[in-house]
Amino acid sequence: MTQELLPGTLYMMVLRTLAAGPLHGYAIARKIRDASRGGLEIEDGSLYPALNRMWVKGWLKAEWGISENNRKARFYRLTAEGRKQLEQETTDFDQLIKSIQLVMRSV
Amino acid sequence: MFAPIIRKLAYLTRRDRFEEDLDTEIRFHLETRIADLESGGLSKADASAQARSEFGSRIRTSEETRSAWSFVWLEQIVADVRFALRSFARRRSFALASILCLAIGIASNALIFSLVNGVLLRDLPYPHPEQLTSIRFSPPNQADQKLGSNSGTYFFIRDHGDIFEKTGAVRITGFSASPDPTGATSPEWVQGAWTSTGMIALMGVEPMLGRWYADDGGLDTVISHRLWKRMYRGAPDVVGKKIYLDAGAGNIVGVAPEDFQTVNPDIDLWRSQPDSNLANALRSPNRVFLMFGRLKPGISVEQAQSRLRALEPELGAEYSMNSGWGVRIESLRDSYVGYMRRPLFVLQGAVLLLLLIACANVAGLLLAQAAVRQKELALRVSLGSSRARLIRQLLVENIVLSLGGGVLGTVAAWFGLQWVLKASFAAAHSIYGVSLDWRVLAFTFAISLITGLIFGVLPALQVSRPALMNAVRESGRSLTASTSSSRLRGAFVVAQMALALVLLTGSGLLIQTLIRLNTTDTGLNANNVAVVQIPFSRTFYRNANRTNPSGGLTVEFDGRFDALSERVRERLAQVPGVESATATVTPPLGGIARRVQFSRPGTTLSESEQGVWSAEWYPVSTSYFETLKIPVKTGRAIGTGDRQGTQPVVVINESLARDFFPNQDPIGQPLQLAGLDEPPRQIVGVVGDVRQDRYQTRPQAQVYVPRIQLPNFMDMATALEFVVPSFVVRTAADPTSVIPSLRSAVHEVAPALPIASIRTVEDYAAGQLQDVQQYATLLSLFGGISLILAVTGIFGVMVNTVSQRTNEIGIRVALGATASGVLGLIVGQGFKLIVAGLAVGLVITFLATPAIGSFLWGVSVSDPLTYAIAAIGLAMIGLLACYIPALRALRVQPIDALRHE
Repeated sequence: MTQELLPGTLYMMVLRTLAAGPLHGYAIARKIRDASRGGLEIEDGSLYPALNRMWVKGWLKAEWGISENNRKARFYRLTAEGRKQLEQETTDFDQLIKSIQLVMRSV
Repeated sequence: MFAPIIRKLAYLTRRDRFEEDLDTEIRFHLETRIADLESGGLSKADASAQARSEFGSRIRTSEETRSAWSFVWLEQIVADVRFALRSFARRRSFALASILCLAIGIASNALIFSLVNGVLLRDLPYPHPEQLTSIRFSPPNQADQKLGSNSGTYFFIRDHGDIFEKTGAVRITGFSASPDPTGATSPEWVQGAWTSTGMIALMGVEPMLGRWYADDGGLDTVISHRLWKRMYRGAPDVVGKKIYLDAGAGNIVGVAPEDFQTVNPDIDLWRSQPDSNLANALRSPNRVFLMFGRLKPGISVEQAQSRLRALEPELGAEYSMNSGWGVRIESLRDSYVGYMRRPLFVLQGAVLLLLLIACANVAGLLLAQAAVRQKELALRVSLGSSRARLIRQLLVENIVLSLGGGVLGTVAAWFGLQWVLKASFAAAHSIYGVSLDWRVLAFTFAISLITGLIFGVLPALQVSRPALMNAVRESGRSLTASTSSSRLRGAFVVAQMALALVLLTGSGLLIQTLIRLNTTDTGLNANNVAVVQIPFSRTFYRNANRTNPSGGLTVEFDGRFDALSERVRERLAQVPGVESATATVTPPLGGIARRVQFSRPGTTLSESEQGVWSAEWYPVSTSYFETLKIPVKTGRAIGTGDRQGTQPVVVINESLARDFFPNQDPIGQPLQLAGLDEPPRQIVGVVGDVRQDRYQTRPQAQVYVPRIQLPNFMDMATALEFVVPSFVVRTAADPTSVIPSLRSAVHEVAPALPIASIRTVEDYAAGQLQDVQQYATLLSLFGGISLILAVTGIFGVMVNTVSQRTNEIGIRVALGATASGVLGLIVGQGFKLIVAGLAVGLVITFLATPAIGSFLWGVSVSDPLTYAIAAIGLAMIGLLACYIPALRALRVQPIDALRHE
């Protein structure tokens, strides 16, 4: 059973994935897939427009580097602004989930 | 907030490289995934298929990534603009008519705004111009008068109140000036200014060439940019040369910048008159100095005014000649151009109304297009366009129109500006440097954009109304015009009529003013009269029997001023073609006469009477009334028998006789003139009133005295310096042909005397009306344009109505409606709009006309006649515009009409 994404959550997940350090697009896709155990319906391709939008916003920086299999790959790194955004979105998201849970349990 | 835009711009410059990078990235992703899957045991084909399916559409990924970097709105707008241009290419006459309409409105605005900008908004060309002020003095009970300072007052203000960082005073004078000492070039009369200690430092600008003089009263002189061009032909080595003045030769040490101005733009040279000289005349009441001050930082003009007001009693106690006088301060800018503020603002208001009328016109045209457009728009809605998308498209079209109008309007404004600057308007007000600078261009761009929105929003909302579109989609034909659309067009016509009425009434009031000013008798016959102004400067007089100590021009003439004056007058009277000649100081109908207070001997005037018992004062020679054909009502004129030593006499005018000698014969009565230190004069004659200042609403009291009986007259003229003797000659024919002989006659009597000017009295009289004339011309021009626009507007609506109602008319005619019935039906519809427009317009006009109240003369701001003429005229022309399309409707054959559509 796969789930459609809540709007905006793809950004949050990408930011979270990058919090540990710079990664290339393929690695980000793998991490999200593995972590969600395939429970999310995300096409790998849709990652790239999201990465670029965040790049335009200044949350990410991109730089070319060498991958584990010794190929040229573009790595994305969180900026200070992106880190702040991640914290903000995480708090907001937790709040949202809590609120939804409250409603679901009490009503 | 700007960083994303900069990143996007950076992307734009390296788009190809970026595409390659993205491609590399995606290829890396897929190939790595395939390799991973293969190492997990899948076959190459299966791995590739799974990788592709996990990735999704590569094309969509590229496109969406690209769109992350693009200015979406910009690209959409570019597309909208392209679409608009294609659409206008199909509707060429509509687009041209709209652009033309808008161009007229925008050009008028750009033109007037360039004046507002150049005259009122631009900073004066001095450092910290906001600190510069001009200080003037108003006599008791005459707060609106602004006179100069005397030297005692100047020092008092300078030293009290802690208001000014720097102060200075200027004394205007005339010089006879020549670039060479031999007199080979006949000397020219120029205005000059003596500047007090600190005046130059107060202005704070360096000369364009050379340096300023020291404040030491020396011979160093700075000349104006104009005089440099005129007298020295712009010679770059002018610094170090001499300028030969009647007051002594001056060393030219500098040339002032072109836009440098003290007091007025006509001053052509500056010299020093240090405060030590001013201090010699501390108790002199003569107000010959114009005082300026640079405010201390942080002090506003208002604060300075209140501190100066607090000083007034102390000033009056210190110098009794200031008792009761008020001290007024205004910013230097206000003192230079303040009087132009209101006319320019009124004109700016007028052209904004004009622009609104143009907007209403274009909006009307847009609505007329609605029927055509709606089919196209309905098609686009059924293809999936949202209403917001349609409105944006329509607004972009409108803005394309208005920007087109803006470009055309800017070009037209440039030509208009050349015309305005060439007209005497600019010269009369020393408007220099008015141009279409960036501020004017920015203003024009802004009003173009706003204009596009103003005229575009309502029609766009109207045209894109979903209900309407459904109707169009369903039937494609309707019997009568859609009511809301034609109601909106009607509202535009009402607005146009109303605004046009405001402009027409305003210009009508000014035209009435001109007519009344021109038809009101001035009291003298100005036909064929010329005035020769010859400055007998104090130095000519003083140095008559001495050599000029500083090597200036010397003039040979004998004895007293009066004798020379009389010789010039007699010689002028002998010139062939001259009927009579007389001498005075104030040119008839030119300039403001000096005033004196008068009283009956033995009575003292109370303070309130002092303002009333005052008259215009004319020191004249014999033949004055004869030359100007001022009628002598009773008694006699000033004659050759009135001379020094005989009974001092005075001739009064009818107004004085009526107001101050009611029910008695003034002839033989004594009259005491104040301030001249002379015995009472006997009234010997009463003459007709003369309207020296044509704007005076009622004739002023006037007194004429034989100037030969004023032994102190030349002393006073000397002290005042700005008295310029004027010789008035009546010629048999047009005086212009006699001017060369007048010139040579003066030259014959006194070769070195400069002639300041020779002008006709008619010229002086017209000069007084010049401002209001130009004002009326501009406002009438705008009024006329607004009339044309408004009439075109209503004409367009009527044409449209008739074409939409053609089959209705056909049915009516087929059923037996008469021609007059049909005519009445159509014209009646227009008539209703016109009446509504006029009703609204009258209210607005009534509220708006007080703005020009201060420029009106002899006509009130709510003059019923002008209102009626404007309203009826507008109604008639408007009805004509309804009548023509209505006639066309009559020619419709019923059978054609029924087939119409």
